[in-house]
Amino acid sequence: MTDYSKKRFLVVDDQAQARDALRTVAQQLGAFAVEFASNYQDAIFRIRNNMPDVILCDYVLGDGRSGQQLLEELRRFNLLPDETIFMMVTGEQSYEQVVSAVELIPDDYIIKPFSPDKLLFRLERIVAKKLFFADYYKEKRKQEYANALAILEAARDSEAGRPYRFEILRQRAEVFLASGDVKSAEAAYRSILENYEFPWARAGVARSLQKQNRLQEAREEIDRVVASTPHFFDAGDLKASICMAQGEHAEAQQILDEIAKKTPRNYVRKRLLAEAATLNGDTETALAAMADVIANDTMPGAISAEDRLATARSHINAGDKITAEKVLLGIRDSELQQMPLMEQASFAALLAVSSVERGKIRFAGLRPAMLVTEFNSTTRLDILRAALSLDDHQLADLQSGQLMASPDAKKVFGAARTLYALHGREKDFREIQRQVALLRIKHDEEVAPDSPPAA
Amino acid sequence: MHKLLDILASGIHDAKNQLFVAESIIAAAEAAHGIPMGEARYAIESAANRLSRTLTAYHLMRHDAAAAVTPTIVGDVCDEVMLAQKKHLAERGVELNIDCQVFDEWPLDRDLVTDMLNNAVQNAGRFADKAVQVSATTDDGWLCLRVDDDGPGFATLPPAVGTGLMVAERLARLHHRHERQGGLRLSNQGALGGARFELRLP
Repeated sequence: MTDYSKKRFLVVDDQAQARDALRTVAQQLGAFAVEFASNYQDAIFRIRNNMPDVILCDYVLGDGRSGQQLLEELRRFNLLPDETIFMMVTGEQSYEQVVSAVELIPDDYIIKPFSPDKLLFRLERIVAKKLFFADYYKEKRKQEYANALAILEAARDSEAGRPYRFEILRQRAEVFLASGDVKSAEAAYRSILENYEFPWARAGVARSLQKQNRLQEAREEIDRVVASTPHFFDAGDLKASICMAQGEHAEAQQILDEIAKKTPRNYVRKRLLAEAATLNGDTETALAAMADVIANDTMPGAISAEDRLATARSHINAGDKITAEKVLLGIRDSELQQMPLMEQASFAALLAVSSVERGKIRFAGLRPAMLVTEFNSTTRLDILRAALSLDDHQLADLQSGQLMASPDAKKVFGAARTLYALHGREKDFREIQRQVALLRIKHDEEVAPDSPPAA
Repeated sequence: MHKLLDILASGIHDAKNQLFVAESIIAAAEAAHGIPMGEARYAIESAANRLSRTLTAYHLMRHDAAAAVTPTIVGDVCDEVMLAQKKHLAERGVELNIDCQVFDEWPLDRDLVTDMLNNAVQNAGRFADKAVQVSATTDDGWLCLRVDDDGPGFATLPPAVGTGLMVAERLARLHHRHERQGGLRLSNQGALGGARFELRLP
């Protein structure tokens, strides 16, 4: 049996009496060091500064926060090593429904009331499982995906792996997805579904299809998940991002609006909502969402330069160039220098749009890089907008050509067309579209003259 | 629309939190003074389970109950039933044994199935002479979880159905896999000569 007297416990609960009760139970296992966190922020602070071995976290944390959100945030900032035990404690039976659906789950959960014996039993099972997967965790952390997969394959066929066969399949699919082998990820998730219709596995299929740019199929899969498990909010996020890729921005915004109301303090989701609202032309919602993010996402390092760029972009969309300029100039020089090229390009473009005088030299300085570098669609749209307003047709047309030829074409089509229209160049935009389409046909003919047309 | 449900759920949630506080204090006192209080803790946990089952029954009658299916280690479920019931049955002179022949994970609603088995073991314990057995096997793609006792068996078959059996029957049917649906079988052909409660899950 594990020696719990040497393990550091952290009890997270907003109710003092419940914290005491959890500590008492932990002490019956021999636990000596039991720390308390009374709220979400406090929990993150303690976990960052002194990683506990065992986290006992209540599902209801008050203040619009849940233990599930804490778990997601810890994973988002890579603050939770695989070796740490995260046990959700709940009096709510409804948490079972969450665990059975979502992709991101704790090591286990336990329903109150429970005896010290039962907690001990559950913890020992987790320890055994973590021991079984220990070598795999190491390779995964080093991003040695081939090694990680080899360990899982061996585990799958072993006698000792029998109690974990679903977990092995699930980890295998996640490794394929993380390593970018999206076709294998899709096959791995489908093989899980042959066993049982788990919502998280169906969502994994949708995620893998989206990454293959098979959007319509991805949409059909995720629609099934959202319809059967409406409390699986991440599936809603995934559906919204697929909708955006399909150019259905109003639907994306509507989905995110609804879930964001139920999870008011999930700021990753708020950012996604801002993106959908921006694409949907609802600048007011985008601005409100980003203002909420910047004011309330209090995790250190959570507010990125990208967030401020998104805010400035929304102000420009709202026609308020002065505030946009203020937001951009609020980014410190040191921060600017550390930005990757893509964000620097967005910064230069947005500044050139909000204040030609202040921005055009920096924009001109980055122009050669803008002509040859692969950027994401958001940055390309920023450059496109600045180039149009500076009458730099060559740069603008290059960006829109690249955008229309990219998998994000549907996502940004409306925005790009609107920008061209603003400058009276709709005809030119249509011509660019036509050229891209012709090129694609020619390319398809050259690549596969005998193969049937792609679906 | 869900107001009544919300009130019920939140009341049960609060009650279970309070019961947890009580159980933790008893556990601490037990350890500090060496007084066995297992039966007091057993009563607390039974009360909490009863509350949960009431809420589940309410969901079932509204037809909005759903199984929360996760891959589950069957042996762990059996061991937890053992942990929860063994001492209590021993107080009555009844021995509880486990025979688990299923070594792979099985997709099932762990908490509901554990509760059904706990309830079945409690019932069996009331009628058993000396022994109750929980066993797990597979049969043509079905997981069979059985609770057998050496008592007189059910007086009538099918027996008069109380809340526990009604809930068990309906919860078993919430387990779907491909075209198959779970079910409950009650008989007097138990391995120990008495009643048999058998849960069959796809």
